[in-house]
Amino acid sequence: MTARNIIVGLACIAIIVLAAMAWIVLGPGPMAFAPGSTVAIASAGSDPSGVPKELAGGDVIKRGEYLAHAADCLACHTGKDAQAYAGGFAFNLPMIGTIYSTNITPDKETGIGNYTDAQFLAAVHRGKRQDGQNLYPAMPYASYTYMTDADALAIKAYLFTLPAVHAPARANRLNFPFNQRALLTAWNMFFSPDTRFAVNAAQSPEWNRGAYLSEALGHCGECHTPRNLMYALDNRQKFAGALTAGWRAYNISADAKAGLGAWSDASLTSYLATGHAEGHGGAAGPMGEASDNSLTYLTAGDIHAMVVYLRSVPAAASNLPHVITVPAPASFREGVTAGLDKRGEKLFAGACASCHDWTGKGQLTTFATLTGARSVNDPSAVNVAQTVMNGIDRKTAAGNVFMPSFGNAYTNAEIAQLANYVTARFGPEGAHLTEKGVQSLRDQAAQR
Amino acid sequence: MVTLQINGQSQTIDATPDTPLLWALRDFLGLTGTKFGCGIAQCGACTVHMDGKAVRSCLLTIGSVGNRAITTIEAVGNTPNGAKVQKAWLDIEVVQCGYCQSGQIMSATALLNKTPHPQDADIDAAMAGNLCRCGTYTRIRQAIKNAAKA
Repeated sequence: MTARNIIVGLACIAIIVLAAMAWIVLGPGPMAFAPGSTVAIASAGSDPSGVPKELAGGDVIKRGEYLAHAADCLACHTGKDAQAYAGGFAFNLPMIGTIYSTNITPDKETGIGNYTDAQFLAAVHRGKRQDGQNLYPAMPYASYTYMTDADALAIKAYLFTLPAVHAPARANRLNFPFNQRALLTAWNMFFSPDTRFAVNAAQSPEWNRGAYLSEALGHCGECHTPRNLMYALDNRQKFAGALTAGWRAYNISADAKAGLGAWSDASLTSYLATGHAEGHGGAAGPMGEASDNSLTYLTAGDIHAMVVYLRSVPAAASNLPHVITVPAPASFREGVTAGLDKRGEKLFAGACASCHDWTGKGQLTTFATLTGARSVNDPSAVNVAQTVMNGIDRKTAAGNVFMPSFGNAYTNAEIAQLANYVTARFGPEGAHLTEKGVQSLRDQAAQR
Repeated sequence: MVTLQINGQSQTIDATPDTPLLWALRDFLGLTGTKFGCGIAQCGACTVHMDGKAVRSCLLTIGSVGNRAITTIEAVGNTPNGAKVQKAWLDIEVVQCGYCQSGQIMSATALLNKTPHPQDADIDAAMAGNLCRCGTYTRIRQAIKNAAKA
């Protein structure tokens, strides 16, 4: 090989690498899919930020409370069995390590009691701590950056009315080099937009309000949009679904098979407003929390705006097969493919059939209906296994919705057998979850 | 106030709709034959019938029952299969401590309502959710078979 060939070869490699990096770095923003040009809120005809009209007369703390619910600060800033907003929630990132959320009660020593308005905005919009260090993007500042200053400061005003809890931050357990916060300066250069929401004049006021709620506040994409190699959201596959904290955040794009394309507006409205839609199942795990802590607090008008916005997101395919919408046969003898591990059936008979029935449509409550639920129609069985392990404990307007957790009762092998049986019986194809796979799901969702 | 159809009678209960049926039966109506076991639908002691099918009354809220007919252990003997099951239970003295047995009888009767001549696998599938810590399972299986022949 001549020196010239080597140089040409290296140059080609360099160009390919640079092009790949540019492809990742120059990814579109979360709302770039929508046609139309944008203008700053100040110069637009309508303002999609703030609280809905019916609450606009309230004081800043009331407004901040609504916005804090909409932004769902609580879910991540509350650890297991800990006081609200006092931090300690574990984000387990495979290969990277564990990050713990921090105390955002107004405690001066361990919380945010000494944060000035400017410091609070720096954290929410740019991921900068009070001491100038970088926050990890587990704090969704790449989404919250679209929030207006007024809304972020209303949230701060509300947080400052909470009881101060003395709860020092738990030390993160991160592998090198991820334990080097300084490296995030480079990440921020590419993936922290540091820009406020801009109104898309070509879209309706409802759409803009829905976009503000879904992107700046609700940060739906942080779970529902896949991430690229650099762990930033890949909006080329916006809302195509992703595995987050060991749970499947489903495809919520317009895709007819895997996404929301086949959902009626009424179903989508019901799911967002209550965490449940007849024929589609109910929210569990992190989405159950998002429902109970955040979405159920939104006004009907805001839910409608989110429906309008979600409907506009283009279809992004993902490999979820069609959804089975008819109940399974009434007899345990029928329906399930032969040759399946009988232990799954035995577990189902003992622990599940009394509420869910062999048909999947139990008599207890429609919240327990398995028919049509995405969990049982997802051949990875990820959320079936997680729900079996963690159970369901939701506070809904219709009362508590409860399913016991079996994570400490069953071995990983048993949970895999049960999840494989359930997906085979009620979905289009049975899962092939293994003992090891279940352990991995446990590890990702673990709070310890 | 919630109105329920229990053992053929209309009963009005002064409780919120999210009250479990088991509480309504035991605490409001004094029908204490139905037992509280685990409270999470995992043991079967609280089993009653709703339109002839076995349900766990500890997780069934009275607000979701509507007009569907509830039958408890106190009245299941008035149904043909219930009478057969209760006789079969006494004939071979299934019961040891007895705490789970009203639930066992309700599940066994519901099984015969659906499957008049159950095989072992049918019995397993229908009865697996009813636990008995005395271990009367073999006599339960036999009594169900005897009731099916009666």
